[in-house]
Amino acid sequence: MKLINKTSRMAALRGGVAVLALAGAIGAAGVAHAATTLVETGSSLLYPLFNIWVPDFTAVNPGIQLTTTSTGSGAGIAQSMKGLVQIGASDAYLSDGIVKKHPNMLSIPLAISAQTINFNLPGLNGDNIKLTGPILAGIYSGKITMWNDPKIAAINPGIKLPAHVIIPIHRVDGSGDTFIFTQYLSDSTPAWASTVRYGTAVSWPAVTGGIGANGNPGMVSALQANPYAVAYIGVSFADQVAKDSLGVAKIKNADGKFLLPTATTVGAAADSIVTTTPPDERISMVFAKGADAYPIANYEYAIINAKQPDTDTASAIQTFLTWAVTSGNAMKYLTQVHFLPLPAAIVTLSKTQIAKIN
Amino acid sequence: MSAAASIKARRGGLAARRAIIGGLGWAACGLALLLVIGPLVDIVGVVSWHGASAFSVKLFTTVTNGTAGGLLNAIEGTAVITVMAMIIAVPVGVGAGIYLSEYGNNKLGSVIRFLSDVLTGTPSIVLGYFSYIVFINALGWDFSALAASITIAILIVPYLARITELALRQVPNAMREAGFALGASEPAVVFKIVLPGAASGVMTGALLALAISVGETAPLIYTAGWSNYLWNGKLTHEPIGYLTYVIWTFIDQPYAASHALAYAAAFIVMMVVLAINIGVRLVVRRGKAV
Amino acid sequence: MGAVMKIKPFRLSLLGLSLLIPAALGAVVLFLLLYAGQAISFNGFGFLGGVNWNLGNLYSDPVMTRGVQVPSGADYGILVFVVGTLLSSGIAILMAVPLSVGAAIFLAEAVPGTIRPVLSMLVELVAVVPSVVFGLWGIAVLIPLIGTYLAPSGNGYGLLAASIVLALMITPIIATTLLDALLRVPRENRESAFALGATHFEVVTKAMLPMVRTTLVGGIVLALGRAMGETMAVVMVSGGAINILPHSVFSPVSTIASFIVTQLDSAQSDPTNMAVRSLAEIALVLFLITLAVNACAKLLSSGALNVRSRQH
Repeated sequence: MKLINKTSRMAALRGGVAVLALAGAIGAAGVAHAATTLVETGSSLLYPLFNIWVPDFTAVNPGIQLTTTSTGSGAGIAQSMKGLVQIGASDAYLSDGIVKKHPNMLSIPLAISAQTINFNLPGLNGDNIKLTGPILAGIYSGKITMWNDPKIAAINPGIKLPAHVIIPIHRVDGSGDTFIFTQYLSDSTPAWASTVRYGTAVSWPAVTGGIGANGNPGMVSALQANPYAVAYIGVSFADQVAKDSLGVAKIKNADGKFLLPTATTVGAAADSIVTTTPPDERISMVFAKGADAYPIANYEYAIINAKQPDTDTASAIQTFLTWAVTSGNAMKYLTQVHFLPLPAAIVTLSKTQIAKIN
Repeated sequence: MSAAASIKARRGGLAARRAIIGGLGWAACGLALLLVIGPLVDIVGVVSWHGASAFSVKLFTTVTNGTAGGLLNAIEGTAVITVMAMIIAVPVGVGAGIYLSEYGNNKLGSVIRFLSDVLTGTPSIVLGYFSYIVFINALGWDFSALAASITIAILIVPYLARITELALRQVPNAMREAGFALGASEPAVVFKIVLPGAASGVMTGALLALAISVGETAPLIYTAGWSNYLWNGKLTHEPIGYLTYVIWTFIDQPYAASHALAYAAAFIVMMVVLAINIGVRLVVRRGKAV
Repeated sequence: MGAVMKIKPFRLSLLGLSLLIPAALGAVVLFLLLYAGQAISFNGFGFLGGVNWNLGNLYSDPVMTRGVQVPSGADYGILVFVVGTLLSSGIAILMAVPLSVGAAIFLAEAVPGTIRPVLSMLVELVAVVPSVVFGLWGIAVLIPLIGTYLAPSGNGYGLLAASIVLALMITPIIATTLLDALLRVPRENRESAFALGATHFEVVTKAMLPMVRTTLVGGIVLALGRAMGETMAVVMVSGGAINILPHSVFSPVSTIASFIVTQLDSAQSDPTNMAVRSLAEIALVLFLITLAVNACAKLLSSGALNVRSRQH
């Protein structure tokens, strides 16, 4: 209100020049580009990989401009379906409901990823504490509240667990990490499967002290800021997790073994489903069979609408995806984010799907 | 002790107590002022410190690459959205201001004034959500410069109308009457006499509206989208970058380079907004003193 | 009235331009209402009282519930966000009022007239700092402070951080409103209080403040409206709660505005669109709350004018 009074009292101002100068600058800057523009949005887990890919890809394909944004797999799926973006990045494949309603939507694997269960226990972050699906389900539904709970202590002999409340951190945005994490809880814990179920966004049970975070970056920051917290974080953020000296848990797989995510264990999980992957490539790698199979691994998907508005866009998408599953699957890119390349049989399936885009 | 002396002493004690209370009261008030201004100083300090140290030529000449690179695309995008919003909003806002000042002393005028105030008070995220439903969903424009600019325009039009009206009301009626006496038409009186007389006030309103649109975020999130590249001139079906996006998304990334960009963007936005506001106020005050 | 009623194209075109403002407002309300319609009938009154915001099982077939297709188990309640909004704004007001009153009194009475413009300009400038810059400062400065010195869990994100940032953002609104009113108190009123032997501080608190009380309350209500609609700064520092009511000032919270920003992405993945419609209903609720609060502010400030004119 005061502002307005002051204004009305004023007598002289010669400031129009600024506006005009700015307008002129815009006119000069609005030069049209002939390039085809693609926009990628979605998974914050895939985001770092896309950012590594883009400079090299556009160097060999100067006619294509690719913008990357990190929103969350839920947004990746939804915005690709709506045509707001050309490439939706998602850690989760499309649901049956969506595929039925939108038969043109494709789920195309680009690489293999995994998820780490991380914790921040002062003094214990060097130990790979063991956790199971049912224990994590208990923590995330508020039934297991203390770090020295007998259930946790029983499988971690020799580790002096603190008598402190556990702070579970979950994603607030629609997230593929939430999808694969809750899928692991559902597969391993019947009580979770019948109540909370799985999805990119679930109705988190109310847990006193629980925290919501935005994106994988938010999960890392929240975990770092909160001693005694536990979080599920995409493996492409493993370097940040290590830099902040946070703990990585050993997770119990379907065969009852406790494993860390390594190239061997994640590779074993991927190998176990190569032969059963269907042509539309929508399959869960979570809780895969095999003694060495890490239980929270997944295909990283590009969610693409097979029907694009024009041929330029369609061929630009095909060029990029083909590059991504071949040159882009080189270890020099993938090791930076701790991903694994697609097995040859899966690359073939992906290429068949890429060919459907028009 | 005599009764008179005791009363005197009590009065003395009372006066001392009142003085102490007064002293403490003033100290508390001074402290309150410090607590209001202190954070501003700290914000400017923190943002300038981190922001200025992230400055380089590259920042202004290259586009964003993932979470690193420069800010040219964001600076250009903010300028495009702001200028387009002004192009839409200024004619409407100034026109409405003229109507309200010159012909709005009636029931209709007060209804418009009231609804304009309601629009001013509407949270910007509500406007953003409206635009998402209408422009992005129903009209299918996709994230685009036009959807973003219209949203910002809706946000600033009521300010422009209000400030224009107040500025025009400062022009003495005698000037209007003189114009009519010379046989000038209504448009001539408004455009040749009233508006020039209030030009500085209208310009102030426009500058303040410009500052608002440079600093806005919430209405843009679901209308502008984001682009790593320079704007290609398309009004719809092409997302566009903007500075405030960099601030709130890049600060959440776990990389030093993205934090530096977030601070640099915040520094640019803050400097533009503060410069406009300080400039306008200084000129206003000088004008008042004369 | 001998002249024939002439159509005045100039006036009409100006009127047309000014009618665009109510038209824009009408369009905002109308489209939100139309879009939210299905959600309003699906959610019923439970919408405001429900604690759980549950998108339902997006990975199974939608089911027919209350006459519409929704994901199975979908249930939308916004009590958590309404409470988050009221609490964060309420606490912000509690912090902002003493600060603004103190600052305004100091500026009006204790500061020499020569430096008053500079200081009052600084106070006004607090109000123009963009919300997102406040949020950045909150993350960089405030969150670590709260996390290190106050919060028992060591987590600085939450209700307190949101309230402090909101308080800083609305303080200038109250302070400048009050400062203007204090500077307008007639000289005779001040001097007659001095003549009665009051100390300077008593003159301010006992004679001047009561005169401007209505204006002050109007300013506070206006600030409340602003705080409730504030988005970005809250998104950045509030910790983002869902399905749980805050139980201390360190609890994470979501406000209605911050929830809309963070949840649209998730809501879009609902193939039935009911989640996006329910968000439109939330936006309507926010609009109605701020409308009611701003209307109160307007009534109060017009009342304040009456009080002043009576005193002259």
